[in-house]
Amino acid sequence: MSILGIGLLALVAFWLVENAVKNFNQFLLVTLNGITNGSIYALVAIGYTLVYGILELINFAHGDVFSWGAMVTYTIGVSWLGVASKSGVGLFALLLVALLGAAAFCATLNMAVERVAYRRLRNAPRLAPLITAIGMSFVLSNAIAVFYGFNYVSTNPILPQGAIFTIGHQAYGWDKLIVLLITFPALAGLTYVVKRTRWGKAMRATAQNRDAARLMGIDVDRAISFAFGLGGALAGIGGFAYLVYFTQGRFDLGFRIGLFAFTAAVLGGIGNIAGAALGGYLIGFIENFNSGLTWHAPGPNWTESLVFILLILILVFRPHGLLGESLSTRS
Amino acid sequence: MTDNLVETRSLRKEFGGLVAVDDVDFAVARGSIASLIGPNGAGKTTLFNMITGAYQPTAGEIVFDGRDVVGLPQHKITELGIGRTFQNIRLFGTMTSLENVLVGMHSRLTSGVFRSVFRSPRQRREEAQARERARELLAYCGLRRRVEQQFARNLSYGDQRRLEVARALATDPKLLLLDEPTAGMNPQETRAFIDFVRKAREELELTVLLIEHDMKVITQVSEHVTVLDYGQKIAEGEPSDVTSDERVRAAYLGTKALV
Amino acid sequence: MSAWRLPAVRLPGVPESSRRRVNLTLGAAVVVVLVLYPWFYSMWLQNTLTQWLPDTSTAFTILAFTVMGLGLNFVVGYAGLLDLGYVAFFAAGSYVAGWLASEQFPQVSFILGGTAPHGTPGIHLSPWLVILCAAIFSAVLGVLIGIPTLRLRGDYLAIVTLGFGEIIPQFVNNGDNIAGHNVTNGSFGLNGIDGLGFGNSVHSALGFLPANFLNEADSRWYYWTALLLVAITIAASILLRDSRLGRAWIAIREDEDAAGAMGVPLMRTKTLSYLIGAFFGGAAGCLITLQASSTSPTAFSLQVSIFVLCMVILGGMGNVWGVTLGGILLAYVNYKGLYAAGNTFNSTFGTNVQIPEYSYLIYGIAIVLFMLVRPEGLIPSARRRAELHEEEEEEIATEIAEGAAA
Repeated sequence: MSILGIGLLALVAFWLVENAVKNFNQFLLVTLNGITNGSIYALVAIGYTLVYGILELINFAHGDVFSWGAMVTYTIGVSWLGVASKSGVGLFALLLVALLGAAAFCATLNMAVERVAYRRLRNAPRLAPLITAIGMSFVLSNAIAVFYGFNYVSTNPILPQGAIFTIGHQAYGWDKLIVLLITFPALAGLTYVVKRTRWGKAMRATAQNRDAARLMGIDVDRAISFAFGLGGALAGIGGFAYLVYFTQGRFDLGFRIGLFAFTAAVLGGIGNIAGAALGGYLIGFIENFNSGLTWHAPGPNWTESLVFILLILILVFRPHGLLGESLSTRS
Repeated sequence: MTDNLVETRSLRKEFGGLVAVDDVDFAVARGSIASLIGPNGAGKTTLFNMITGAYQPTAGEIVFDGRDVVGLPQHKITELGIGRTFQNIRLFGTMTSLENVLVGMHSRLTSGVFRSVFRSPRQRREEAQARERARELLAYCGLRRRVEQQFARNLSYGDQRRLEVARALATDPKLLLLDEPTAGMNPQETRAFIDFVRKAREELELTVLLIEHDMKVITQVSEHVTVLDYGQKIAEGEPSDVTSDERVRAAYLGTKALV
Repeated sequence: MSAWRLPAVRLPGVPESSRRRVNLTLGAAVVVVLVLYPWFYSMWLQNTLTQWLPDTSTAFTILAFTVMGLGLNFVVGYAGLLDLGYVAFFAAGSYVAGWLASEQFPQVSFILGGTAPHGTPGIHLSPWLVILCAAIFSAVLGVLIGIPTLRLRGDYLAIVTLGFGEIIPQFVNNGDNIAGHNVTNGSFGLNGIDGLGFGNSVHSALGFLPANFLNEADSRWYYWTALLLVAITIAASILLRDSRLGRAWIAIREDEDAAGAMGVPLMRTKTLSYLIGAFFGGAAGCLITLQASSTSPTAFSLQVSIFVLCMVILGGMGNVWGVTLGGILLAYVNYKGLYAAGNTFNSTFGTNVQIPEYSYLIYGIAIVLFMLVRPEGLIPSARRRAELHEEEEEEIATEIAEGAAA
């Protein structure tokens, strides 16, 4: 790592320490928020990285699959099952149903997008599937608007309101905790599927060397579909977490979150699943430190710019990200 | 003391853990026709790529025409006088033959944005001259007038190979690198190619370096042969010496290939 | 091949020389109609087809956006670089208009041939000069953006340009307090921007040339200015395409490594495409703002970048006439067609569907369909068709040969 990089990190570290010292409670809370938001970014980022690893395609529409996850959660959970007015064990059972519904829907949606829009373009010049993905992104997000309108769709708080614990004057409630409760098992489940199951292995093999995988008898189309399905499911879970936490959703949700999640995937090393998760949490921290810390923070107005500048810096100076391998043929 | 147009000293290229070119000292005498041979994967094209600036060496020096060229951008090296063809033909498929050759002349032409937009007399003259020269090159390389306006991807295989050479010659090189130029050619075409290389060397004052597998070409046209195997130079000298060298025969796995 | 060759209108059985004459006549007719459009509209067409035909203000917007499409064509169509942040140049040009032709900087009072009355605070350059400044500023911005961006490949380039397309509007939005200075007036945007015009002195001499276009009854003078800008951009596109630089761009698009090996300086050539694309994008953005008299950050979003990209795709990337047609068509649909269609739909079926709200759904579907079925666009260049389809190659070769022989 270059002197410049180390210098920057030192500066950031110093800034964090200063803030922690000046207002520890705030710092702690902001960190927790960072982990919470970061979980959602991690879930979505993994979807990007799975698809990029296997197709070398940036699935622009992935963020909008996430939006669908949130909206479907609303429909199943709030509209059909009325979770906003339930409590206790019954509530969690119904939420589970909504969660599974969102995951299944988004998995199917992502696989359908691949089948319809990307499959035919597998041998086309590189830019063609990317442009198609952009088109698909607009289709998916505006399709949400067709069904749900252009305005926010919101619900009464779903989870019990009280704080589980307080830090200073700020409360950490169920709505945030549930995000963690969902994410960690999801990540664990993902790790199991990718490392231990037949389909996970087929997917990884196809990502490493498509022709060799084909020669080994792997159905490459199915492996790719699997990657999309898996990524979609995670996006759906992320969407569920978002809806339950923020209690509202909108058709263009996926744009900002999708771009942040993509940055996370690149930051961690595109194609690397652990990297995507790591990147997700880092972006979560960056977002929350920037808006939550008070000492010399640029402020929430600048969050997007900060994240994009970070993306640009990574791609220019360290395109293989934190955990990826350097694969350049030029030095 | 031979005057070497290009020389490499302890040239090395590593890709991660793989050593593609392993401390190679290599030279091509000015005005000569030389060959670089070796089994597939020996590092020949990698060596070419380092000479043209497409790859940066991991270590070592490359001296071209008395000048150290390591680290120079590719287009600068082309400007200094190195032209090349590719092993798998890399023409600009949707440009015409003429346009392909004109692109080769890019570094020898001077018209920039303003002169092009306002079509200054100098630019128009330069374009006309360039087109004339391009036509000459196409003819020189054996392409009929008819193919001038055809898309490169529609040409026959033989014509595509000729066009690649014409395009490389358009860069007005001192050193011409030909990467497996006779692949896929029948004996007559190969003979014609050998004559062409000799003629071009004389008339255009070139130095030619070929990567080749065809022994006829190697023995008939080269004055000097260098053999690579697993990235290392294992032999060099006149064709007859090299072809009878035990190590070379062993590298090629059997003597059939050398007969 | 003539530099001014229009796409051949295919009339079977008509010999090449006559075909040429037909093309030229058609072309001349189109130009005449375009120039006289404001009169056609106000005098004859307004009553009958007013639903479907754009008024001069809308027609102006359509042409201005077409300029942007042609500008992006240099980057995406010629050099093959997928730029998803083109809106940044629109914003740059727009804000230069605000800086150099409004009361944004009341500390200064500098009037140079501007259309504002004497003594007005702020900088007021001649708006024609402002357009040039906007174009140059935008071009410089293009070079700056290019420095980190253009060394990246394909999809990474796309994402980074998208990032810039997001960062710049955010800077604009937060620009009311940059080190204590109000540069962009933040989310309020800039207002009271001068109009284009010929100024009072010219107007006194030649009465038919208006002093300030904003004071005219309709936007016809803006329309004619935009038409002129379209013509300039088309000319520049064709002249550059058939030159050393144009060949270098297409070579890079085809095979970047081979282009480099042939002596094409990659970074410089790509940067030039950015520079020129940005130049025209900035000019268009400035012109639009001079007509609207105000600008604000909400106008600059990813959607605009995609909208302009759509024009280039629709038009067949790299094909000047195709992109012109595609641009006009798409901008027409967006600024007039969808509204008219929506009204007709609603009045026929008694519904209240706001079709224009779903415009991006339609454009998204259009992009996907075009990429899957007809990636070479509406009027593909022969080159592009060859690139994307295996068939029809002999036909094309003959066409070119005929053209060369003529």
